[in-house]
Amino acid sequence: MSMENIMADRKWLDNAFWETPQKELLNAISETTENNREVRQVHKIPKTNEDGTENELFKEVLEYLGEDVIDASSKKRLEKKQAEAEMEKEKQLEQERAKKLEKLFEYKLETFEVPEIKESKNRLLKSKLRRSKSIPEVNLYAMLIVKDTIDNAESE
Amino acid sequence: MQNPSKGFIIVASNNVNFYVYAVNLIESIKDWYPEAQITLVTEERFIDDRADEADNIIFCDNHYRAKLWGMSQSPYDITMYVDADMDCEHEDIAKVWDELGDRDLVFHELTPEREKFYAIREFRYKGRMEKYTLCGGVCLYRSSNPLVMEFMAEWFELYNKQLNNIWQPEGFDNRQWNEDLKVFDQTTLWWLTEQEDKYKDLKIGIFHDDIRWNYFTQYQYENLHSIEGKPPILRHYSGSLHKDRLLV
Repeated sequence: MSMENIMADRKWLDNAFWETPQKELLNAISETTENNREVRQVHKIPKTNEDGTENELFKEVLEYLGEDVIDASSKKRLEKKQAEAEMEKEKQLEQERAKKLEKLFEYKLETFEVPEIKESKNRLLKSKLRRSKSIPEVNLYAMLIVKDTIDNAESE
Repeated sequence: MQNPSKGFIIVASNNVNFYVYAVNLIESIKDWYPEAQITLVTEERFIDDRADEADNIIFCDNHYRAKLWGMSQSPYDITMYVDADMDCEHEDIAKVWDELGDRDLVFHELTPEREKFYAIREFRYKGRMEKYTLCGGVCLYRSSNPLVMEFMAEWFELYNKQLNNIWQPEGFDNRQWNEDLKVFDQTTLWWLTEQEDKYKDLKIGIFHDDIRWNYFTQYQYENLHSIEGKPPILRHYSGSLHKDRLLV
């Protein structure tokens, strides 16, 4: 098959996008029929050849799809990638929060095993400790409970 | 039944850490729901002053799955069983009884999106794939119904037989049974709810917005949240606690 025939037969999918904001590298998928079989191929096409001349393939895609279509597809792809990155970031943050919470829970359980806290009947302070959102807050209420237990023992 | 008695069952056996978790859970439930009636099922050797927080204490033996026995000992008409390694975080705990409706047993559901956090969900039975769908981490049940209590007692008895190679029903893949299924009380639960004719008439359901009632901390890793956007009521630390390490 001659090059002209290949070009005439070749289609370009409308999901092509710019790899760079300067529009100097194009990512596009071609579709051709070979031996009654559809063949798709991914191309990364620079605007110019190594010797600085115009890249014919780049020109072909641009003429076939039109710059507006590639711009729109690039914008859509970028938005999708940004949303995915945002979601991944949020997932990572949630995982960090969960792990922090798990460590905090075990820390609280250890704190409740301190003898003065273990024997304390001060429901209010123990409840405050249990609802603490951070280790410093746990420590603060732990100190108050220990002080309360010591004060009670001294007054008895 | 007018004014049925309602209460929680929490079980701590085999490992003293579970007693510490259980005491914390009892106190956390009472932080949000001071009128809650709570029965602690535990071993006598674990008891200290903190057990006073429980309204009722039942002694059990040193069994790895005393939870199943404990569930069959409920003194209440309606019972909420909660795994000891959980923490109560929300006042909606007081509304748990509304979840029963006209049902006999209510569970948390093992859904496809949650399955990665469970040791096993699918298994082969009689040449086809079956799934565990019920999670026993929490269970609200009508303990005034004799059939429900028979169910609980049989769950414990059958699980013991299963674990000790006395009972293995036909139809399971032998290798999978021995490697994966035998150790799980969920296998027994699946058998009783899906295969045992005697319990076919029991009305079994799932909590509304069930993730709130058994929020495994790992659910947060995948951003799994309540369908109504509400915070967890009971958070489950099952996967993260160092259960065999002494706390102090």
